[in-house]
Amino acid sequence: MKKTVNDYVIEVKEVTKVFKPLDFWKRERVQAIDSVSLNIEKGEIFGLLGLNGAGKTTLMKVILGLLKPTKGHVSILGRPVTDGAVRCRIGYHSELPYFPKYLKAAEILSYFADIFGLPQKTKKAGIAEVLELVGLKNKANTRIKGYSKGMQERLGMAQALINDPDILFLDEPMSGLDPMGYKETRDILLRLNKRGKTIFFNSHILSEVERVCDRVAVMHKGKIADVRSAAEIKRKYKNMEKYFMTVVKKAGES
Amino acid sequence: MRRIAAVAEYIFKQSFRNKILNVLILFAVFSIGFSLVVSELAQEVEIKMIKDFGLFAINLFAFLTLALALTVQLFEENELKTINLIMVKPVARHEYIAGKYLGIVFTILMNVILMLAALMLILWLKGENPWELGLLLQAMYIFLGTAVLASTAMILSVLATSVPGCIIFLFFFYILGHLTVHLKNIASQLDNALFQAAADIIYYLLPNLELFNLKDKIYTPEGLFSPQYLLPVIAYAVFYPVLSLVIASLIFRKKEFF
Repeated sequence: MKKTVNDYVIEVKEVTKVFKPLDFWKRERVQAIDSVSLNIEKGEIFGLLGLNGAGKTTLMKVILGLLKPTKGHVSILGRPVTDGAVRCRIGYHSELPYFPKYLKAAEILSYFADIFGLPQKTKKAGIAEVLELVGLKNKANTRIKGYSKGMQERLGMAQALINDPDILFLDEPMSGLDPMGYKETRDILLRLNKRGKTIFFNSHILSEVERVCDRVAVMHKGKIADVRSAAEIKRKYKNMEKYFMTVVKKAGES
Repeated sequence: MRRIAAVAEYIFKQSFRNKILNVLILFAVFSIGFSLVVSELAQEVEIKMIKDFGLFAINLFAFLTLALALTVQLFEENELKTINLIMVKPVARHEYIAGKYLGIVFTILMNVILMLAALMLILWLKGENPWELGLLLQAMYIFLGTAVLASTAMILSVLATSVPGCIIFLFFFYILGHLTVHLKNIASQLDNALFQAAADIIYYLLPNLELFNLKDKIYTPEGLFSPQYLLPVIAYAVFYPVLSLVIASLIFRKKEFF
């Protein structure tokens, strides 16, 4: 069945991002994204793969409005991401998030909850819920300086969930985690997806992408080299690694 | 308003709990205590010496608090990318600027209050009235002057591409802010229209921090200041930051986060 505009929660149309030249003579313009178009469906887990420097993080930042596209258009839930109502419905976890080391996890989450305008009555319960979800319930009142890298990653996930978002953007959500952390993050993603959340994430960890994603895109040198469903990848390539290597090699040759 | 208050509270907690800032406060309080030693050198004007040295320390450390709070913020926002997590949330850019300004200004206020308390304690131990209106007014105006400079720092912070660059410019503005009035006076006595125009631009563009220096503006023999002088300065301390924050917000609206 052909998808309609209403089925897409994220629409990226012909987006190009060229960074301003940084050298003295203003000659070295970097084209990070080249005419990328993507549609993400409601309720799917979408994985974006690519080598370092392929443009994955830049694309995510353009979608989130942190960077402005040089050309093209992005909409989330049919509206521009700058719309406050749209921002209330998204969550974002950045790669290797940092939090002020003299603050406590509960204070940081309380700050983000206030930014989202969560009612004071439910705020405390909401903070406890997300901390429990990411396994930091007992560390709510510990200062961040006592947190390991993995715990900070989990807190990054907790702040992305504090507003119970409909769409979750995760940039390398598993970097810094141990194997147990991988499994826990995977379980969280699958549980959230069961509740109808749309998840868009970048990752280098192919095995995890294979386990959780409904659809996958491979980016290469700023372009989308291929988009395919996980079922099709399994059928045609057997595993994610083989698929990824084939697509990247083919894109590199063309 | 809730979002502005949330940003302000977060930035205040972040700055006020910072260990380097805590050490700075301790050092400031010790410096004020040092006024006791200095005053021994000038026995006849001992109390005046304590007050002058104490107010000088409050002024200096209020500025250092601003510089340090700004350094912490800029480093975490730009180098550690904490701002990315905030900018994808439903906080408008001008709300963030306003909250950040209030958080830093509140940090400065707390430090000024602590330093003033130390000075008042010393005066009380010396048998003086610590609640002297002139002293309290001078400390309040030091705070207001630093708050005006903090608003200029907001413009610098959104323009800055590096933390050291921003702090160096802040330091220039602090020095120039105390000199613009003298520069304008010198220019008015010269027969050079270009120099006068340049002095005028600098005078009206940069914060006039000398307005907040009440030491040479004593109005009565009891050491009081003229309300005709104090009230317009308060108006300046309101309008200059509002204008600076509007400019900072307009620049910040166009900013991208890499």
